[in-house]
Amino acid sequence: MIDLDVSLPLDHFRLEVALRTDAQSLAILGPSGAGKTSILEVIAGLRPSARGRLRIGEHVLMDSRSNLWVRPEHRRVGYVPQNAALFPHLTVEGNVRFGLARASGQGRCFDDAVNTLEIARLLHRYPATLSGGEKQRVALARALASSPRLLLLDEPLAALDVELKERIFPYLLRIKDDAHLRTIYVTHNTGEAIAFADEAVIVRAGRIDQTGPPAEILSPAVARLSDLGLVSDNIVSGRLRRDRSRAGMLFLDIEAGLSLIVPSVTSAKDGDKGVYALPEEDVLVSSAPLVAISARNVIEAQVAQIALVDSDAVVRFTSAGLQIRARLTGAALSELCLQIGDRAWLIIKSHSMRKLG
Amino acid sequence: MIDHEDFSILLFTLRIAALSTAVILPFGIFSAWALARSGGGARGLVETALSLPLVLPPTAVGLLLLELLSRYGFVGRLLQALGTEIVFTWKAVVLATAVMSFPLLVRPVRAAFEEVDPQLINVARTLGATPMAAFARVTIPLSWRGILTGTILAFSRSLGEFGATIMIAGNIPGKTQTMALAIFSRAELGDDRAAMRLVALTAVIAFAAIWTTEIFAQRRTRRIAH
Repeated sequence: MIDLDVSLPLDHFRLEVALRTDAQSLAILGPSGAGKTSILEVIAGLRPSARGRLRIGEHVLMDSRSNLWVRPEHRRVGYVPQNAALFPHLTVEGNVRFGLARASGQGRCFDDAVNTLEIARLLHRYPATLSGGEKQRVALARALASSPRLLLLDEPLAALDVELKERIFPYLLRIKDDAHLRTIYVTHNTGEAIAFADEAVIVRAGRIDQTGPPAEILSPAVARLSDLGLVSDNIVSGRLRRDRSRAGMLFLDIEAGLSLIVPSVTSAKDGDKGVYALPEEDVLVSSAPLVAISARNVIEAQVAQIALVDSDAVVRFTSAGLQIRARLTGAALSELCLQIGDRAWLIIKSHSMRKLG
Repeated sequence: MIDHEDFSILLFTLRIAALSTAVILPFGIFSAWALARSGGGARGLVETALSLPLVLPPTAVGLLLLELLSRYGFVGRLLQALGTEIVFTWKAVVLATAVMSFPLLVRPVRAAFEEVDPQLINVARTLGATPMAAFARVTIPLSWRGILTGTILAFSRSLGEFGATIMIAGNIPGKTQTMALAIFSRAELGDDRAAMRLVALTAVIAFAAIWTTEIFAQRRTRRIAH
């Protein structure tokens, strides 16, 4: 159980956050500058000017009424900042061992952290020689090895491209599920929050705007994602295939009978994994089949959900196993007369497919 | 060639410079740390005060020290009560060089401390390090080039100190006479050859010291460029 009720003056507003949760993993979302990182810093004990209460399980870490403020070195709260913040003068091993002095059963903690994050090969390297994903894994291992009661992750994946995200994310799930570690996870990305957290909190200008199960409060219909600076592009992944008979056009095979033409990249090889982002605004919708059109990709799909967001509508379509959201103006929606269950044709320009990995 | 006297003057000067640098090192590191952490108007004031020996005539600093240490000064009376004499002894030479070289130590060290990413300190704290432990295990190892630069600069300045030394330690051969003072004495006596020998010696040492800092500065920029 995390019980937090704090206030802290920031540059443009006052952070006032009251939160009580039993969630094992909590996601904090919100626009940049909303105070998400400050919340983590207050919990870690890095903001001595914060006032209020903080309790993690039975441990009271802060209570201004009784002048109680536990120093960060005694809190056993692990912190992984956005830039990983590895100690540049220490090897990977030195970094991971840094917090060991405190941990009981030191050898086991070190081995567990190294194995969980699979960094045994990196132990003798210096941070400057590591890739972004490796740095993040080392930072996670370092926090894990200090056997924290609570782990704070500040956008651990923000600096990584999608392919790396896909590679790091399983480690995060492993920390959460296998290590049974309570985790607070700050992110911009609704998909990450839904996949990772039991509970989500949306923070705006220093205050909690909404709390609830991630899948509910983060659905495009409820959360005004664009207002919040949150990203919710369609993510389409599959295998790449080059069609030699048709001037070497590059196809993304999503599943049997469902392929999209994507911009040709010379480096792409048959069978490579391809991950693409497709903005909601770039999906055109027709209620009748098309005869001739320049766009290469036309998918027949079914309307699964319609949500009104401000003056727009976000319509979710399904086509076999693929889900695609399209953002339409209210006027367009009423002209199309779309109802849930209706058939529709989605038109996607190849060049709207942005390769992520 | 270098005679016995030259050699003993050189040795005395090196000893004084080493001792004075060793004495100011802990204070300098602490002051640099305090300055790097603090902000606001008080900091500017303290920095200016600490830098005064750089711009005041060394003889002025020497005179102030002399007043302070004389039998009628506050510190002088205290020392007398303790049975210690400083003025016109080798201790006064150490004191003069220490005061004059202190700002040269503090500035580069402070700059190096300020370059350390505060996020690293934050993380070290969450990993169980006390502020002192974080300073010793993170700040110091990441600033060692700045500390080395400051140390060498302070040491070099100590080698050449003249004005403040002559005010409170005099120019007593075999007792308080450093290279700078000996060069002055020999030139004044018209023994230019003997003076030039000492000039050559100091030039070699100063060159070596400054060149060392240059090498480290270059390595550093190369590392940043990568």
